[in-house]
Amino acid sequence: MGNRKILVVDDERDMRIFVSTVVETSGFEAIKAQDGMEAIEKADLDPPALVILDVMMPKIDDGIQTYRRFRTDSKLSRIPIIILSAIARKTFLHSIRLLSPHRGSVLPEPEAYMEKPPDAGELSRLISKLSAAES
Amino acid sequence: MMEKSILLVDDEAGIRKVLSIALSDLGYQVHTAENGLEALRIFEDKRPPIVLTDIKMPEMDGIELLRRLKKISPDTEVIMITGHGDMDLAIKSVKYEATDFVTKPINDEVLEIALNRATERITMRQTLNEYTQNLEQLVQDKTQQLVEAERLAAVGQTVAGLSHAIKNITGGLKGGAFVLEKGIELNDQKYLMQGWEMIRGNVDKITNLSLDLLNYAKATDLNIQACDPRQPAQEVIDLMRPRAQELGIELVSDFSQDLNSCHFDADLICRCLLNLVTNAIDACRNDDPDAPDKKVTVRVKKARGWGVEYQVLDNGCGMNAKTQKRIFQHFFSTKGSEGTGIGLMISKKIIDEHNGVINIESEEGAGSKFFIKLPKVSNG
Repeated sequence: MGNRKILVVDDERDMRIFVSTVVETSGFEAIKAQDGMEAIEKADLDPPALVILDVMMPKIDDGIQTYRRFRTDSKLSRIPIIILSAIARKTFLHSIRLLSPHRGSVLPEPEAYMEKPPDAGELSRLISKLSAAES
Repeated sequence: MMEKSILLVDDEAGIRKVLSIALSDLGYQVHTAENGLEALRIFEDKRPPIVLTDIKMPEMDGIELLRRLKKISPDTEVIMITGHGDMDLAIKSVKYEATDFVTKPINDEVLEIALNRATERITMRQTLNEYTQNLEQLVQDKTQQLVEAERLAAVGQTVAGLSHAIKNITGGLKGGAFVLEKGIELNDQKYLMQGWEMIRGNVDKITNLSLDLLNYAKATDLNIQACDPRQPAQEVIDLMRPRAQELGIELVSDFSQDLNSCHFDADLICRCLLNLVTNAIDACRNDDPDAPDKKVTVRVKKARGWGVEYQVLDNGCGMNAKTQKRIFQHFFSTKGSEGTGIGLMISKKIIDEHNGVINIESEEGAGSKFFIKLPKVSNG
């Protein structure tokens, strides 16, 4: 059995509880973070097998910056990420592309993208699939 | 298709006869008159687009006829027939907007050129008229389309905003149901409690949303009465104090003592102030907890030219200029799924109905000030 920890990042309490419950009932351990800063700190301390990251209006910048920091940190860059968002996938991808050129290399797309509110069954399947690929 | 008819005016029977034949050959239906008065009579009856008239005639000369024809129908093409040495008259006729003049003895070719020029002018004028009318019609059609499109866009925005708010709540309810189900399935007390709380919270949200919508939609009959302007402010302070205390925010009242009573709907003003104070508390709450002490002030004071002025001040997160522009719009919210974007929209509606004004001053990171001014008598 490999790493069973999944980091759930969401600024809304309801969504944090819901996603954590999906994570836990899928047989994983949920580590919760309220914002990008807390997420990086916790991931740095104990790297999770998977990150479920909320990219929410109106704090879309925070979510996208957090995504960029995960992807550009040598220790965390290989951790798969599921993006949960109320914004369209295209808008999100456009935003991360805009952030890329400064770093020289293009930020890779997230392993999965789900629109909010996520379906519990689908999220559970994604969690199992992506954490299995990692370990 | 233009009717090719012409009125020929000459006092000499011979000329009338010769020219009639020439004009008939050119395809015109010819009406003839031997003097100006007869010409006017025939013109009124037949309305030919072209008139060919001699300049020198007894009683009413060609110039006078030209003047009268142009007065009756400015678009009539009038061609003058002049003799040698009538140059002064010819020039005069041009001044009265004759189309052209031909000199006696009349050369058929010259006459044809003059007639063609007249016909061309008539056709051009008709085309121009059609274009102008079409253009007016086009502008009218497009304007109507635009008005309709804007109305639809407004409805669309309202529905989109509403469906977004409902989608958020449904998401919360679904999530809560899932957590609750897991609690039942696994007999897990934590899941049971959390799921139940999520459901209850979202039921509250949808209840508030529907109440807000109902309040907004219903035609408000203002219940205007003389009241102490401090009364609605005090009610709001009493109502919100426990919540402010719970969040560690100081809620301060600053009421002037020398206030006259005002005429307004106290319930609605109370509701409006409640929205502002709720927002102010949220603005303080969103901020960094390590920041200096948070404070919300409700001020009631006199205002020159107005009945009363309310101010709601906070030292919370504030907002940038772009946000300030949008806050009174329907369903605009900065609070993510926590807000429905209805509060300020209702507040503005209430103040508008009182013929009052509501304004904001804000700076990002420094807090916001809302100002409401109500007239001495709100006649709604």
